[in-house]
Amino acid sequence: MNLCGYYPESINEGEGLRASIFISGCRHRCKGCFSPATWNFNYGEPFTLQRQNEIISEIAGNPLLSGISLLGGDPFFSAAEVGSFLDRLYEQAGEVNTWIYTGYTYEELTADPLAAEYALLRRCHVLVDGRFEETLRDTSLRYCGSSNQRLIDIPASLASGQVVLWQPAITF
Amino acid sequence: MALLQPTYEANEHLLREMIAVGEDIIDSKDLDLIRENANLNGESFSGKMSKLGSEYAKWYAKHFIMPKSVVRAIEDNYVYVHDLDQYAIGTTNCIFIPFDKLLGGGFNTGNGSVRPPNSIMTAMALVAIIFQSQQNAQYGGVSASKIDHDLAPYVAKSFSKYFRKGLAYFEEEDGVQPEDIRMSNFELQLRYPKSYRYALKETEIETLQGAESLIHNLNTMSSRAGGQIPFTSINYGTCTSPEGQMVIDALLTTTMQGLGSGETPIFPIQIFKCKQGVNQSPKDPNYALFLKAAECSAKRLYPNFANLDAPLNLQYYNPSDPDSEFATMGCRTRVLSDRFGRNKLSGKGNLSFNTLNLVKLGIEYGTALGKRKKADEQGFYHALDHYLDIALDGLLHRFDIQRRQKAKASDFMMREGVWEGGEQLAPDEPVGDLLKHGSLSLGFIGVAECMKALYGRHHGEDEQVYGKALQLISYMRAYCDRKSDELDLNITLFATPAEGLSGKFTKRDRQYYGSLPGITDREYYTNSFHIPVYYEIQAARKIELEARFHDLCNAGAISYIELNGNARSNPAAFLSIVQYALSQQVSYFSINHPIDRCSACGYEGIIGSICPSCGSHEEDVHIRRLRRVTGYLTGDFQTRFNSAKQAEVRDRVKHTP
Ligand code: SF4
Repeated sequence: MNLCGYYPESINEGEGLRASIFISGCRHRCKGCFSPATWNFNYGEPFTLQRQNEIISEIAGNPLLSGISLLGGDPFFSAAEVGSFLDRLYEQAGEVNTWIYTGYTYEELTADPLAAEYALLRRCHVLVDGRFEETLRDTSLRYCGSSNQRLIDIPASLASGQVVLWQPAITF
Repeated sequence: MALLQPTYEANEHLLREMIAVGEDIIDSKDLDLIRENANLNGESFSGKMSKLGSEYAKWYAKHFIMPKSVVRAIEDNYVYVHDLDQYAIGTTNCIFIPFDKLLGGGFNTGNGSVRPPNSIMTAMALVAIIFQSQQNAQYGGVSASKIDHDLAPYVAKSFSKYFRKGLAYFEEEDGVQPEDIRMSNFELQLRYPKSYRYALKETEIETLQGAESLIHNLNTMSSRAGGQIPFTSINYGTCTSPEGQMVIDALLTTTMQGLGSGETPIFPIQIFKCKQGVNQSPKDPNYALFLKAAECSAKRLYPNFANLDAPLNLQYYNPSDPDSEFATMGCRTRVLSDRFGRNKLSGKGNLSFNTLNLVKLGIEYGTALGKRKKADEQGFYHALDHYLDIALDGLLHRFDIQRRQKAKASDFMMREGVWEGGEQLAPDEPVGDLLKHGSLSLGFIGVAECMKALYGRHHGEDEQVYGKALQLISYMRAYCDRKSDELDLNITLFATPAEGLSGKFTKRDRQYYGSLPGITDREYYTNSFHIPVYYEIQAARKIELEARFHDLCNAGAISYIELNGNARSNPAAFLSIVQYALSQQVSYFSINHPIDRCSACGYEGIIGSICPSCGSHEEDVHIRRLRRVTGYLTGDFQTRFNSAKQAEVRDRVKHTP
């Protein structure tokens, strides 16, 4: 698994101040994708155990973070590895609020409860789902790029068996 | 005049200097000179006119008025005397205006007298007039320390006026006692529901209109010398009466709406005063207003946040006197304490300040030049003492000139009692001892580069060096405290907001020492004790490191966090950073984030080369890029900033990408 970007503190990929981690590799090939370079699984630097631990300790030591965001590429193409990264993170920093961005839809990801994708999904809290649709691009949207994409409250959705949209904690 | 028996050559030299000063200004030759102050359009006629005056005034002060040691220290680039052009005539720096007193008793602007206002609309209009009347009596900022408290009585007056109108309109039974007509009187609401509702709505509308006109006025009256807008600040946030809350709410709403075409107001500087139990947690009466302030700041860069709970400020806090609440002026000035007992804000201010170039001292006694392996700390502190003494001499000499000025030289300020006690002076009487309530401040710049020059690393990079930096600033503060006692004056330590200065020291030090990496290789020195803007550091860490300096700088300091990204769309992040800074005892705090505005469609947010809303390209339409510099905003940083400040903005590492 490769890392194609890391911002220790970001306000752009989810609510609050978050550490944003970009995982290389994506096969959705959306038209108008913001960074086709990240489709390549070999793009970026190897996300070695050492690098993971570095990032984990930065996250654990930063009192200002509201959580992390996983982006890509699409982290679900590396579901098993990303899942074990999260396990390690939660073990050392407690359960950190996690947003995850994907080109898959919620329905696709929950289709097979035995799949690695489902296991990864379960560990996260907010899912930003759906492929990027160039014709639905809207710059006024918070935390996503096109209007077909949804911000889904994962625990509430899994518990109720239907999609529950995420609601912000503070609105201005 | 001090020049004894001037020789022919000396006279010739003086004459050549004078002529050169004029030529530089008239032909706009020296852009950094012209743009020294981002708030002044130095290429305009009135800007040039005022530049001419001020450059000659400086020249005159240096050659004929100031102590030679001070002039020498300026020339050697160790000390900077701020607003040197005002030195010889004895003007003072800044002031907190007692708006309650002036509005409540009426006042005279010198051209006519003004009655106490009977409505919030008029009161707000008078606030602008008072600011305007005061600003030319001094050279720094004019501030309202508690505008919500000051204006609340006029909201009450408006309410009462509308309520009585309502009674007549709706023929609701009269018989109310005038003193019972209060917004917070719930009985009134029950007995006269229509009149009450009508009065409340009308008062709200009027307060909002008043706030709108106030903000517009403060952004448009170019009444200060050189076509500048008065350097105004308004502090608010703690008044919990419904009238005061209405004032705060209206100011925030107006600021968010923006000016005429929706653009971000540049003035006044707005400061929200944060206090636990008043506005910091959901159960506090003004919490909703604090959230609104955060929203406003995320959209418009203001308000900044003043921390009434920081120990430095809390010690003077008296819940029954809003004038004892820490507030700031201009970029950061703090004048709360007074050894003569006026431990409050209104009616006094800072008298003047001189800034020390810590970097040059660091270079002289550190390892940077390769002359020694280890910093010569003894030499450093010895030289520091020497220049502290000289800078203080300069303040005292200037103070003497200031004290000798007659009351009529600053008629509005003194005769109307804007400076407390001035109203008792006869026109020809010198202001004298009244000024002792003000503060004389020693400032500093470039702790980061100074540390780098001394030890090879700055205080953000190294725990031990951080300790050294803290030690240095504590030492300077102790010097100020000691001198306060010795001289029986308020001498305070200032984290200088170095706007014009940031590049000047650097340029000359680089000429002298060459380009030293991490020291003189940029166009500016790092402001006060800040961790350099170009240094990558997490926001929380920056806050923690800078927080401890705030307590030492009793003349004022500010910390910033730079955010990249659209702060407007992430309130949670904004709020958590502000509250974290407050919890770390930062005394005064703000978040910088870029605001770009597309002049084609009016979109505000972050704009790269192409406007995300209308698709215009920056080469075809003007994209106005608003940035904050040393505490206040300036129209467009590319056309109004001096080169050092432009470089600083370019170099800023956003603490969040
Ligand atoms: S899912 Fe995201 S990374 Fe993958 S192609 Fe679509 S936009 Fe690009």
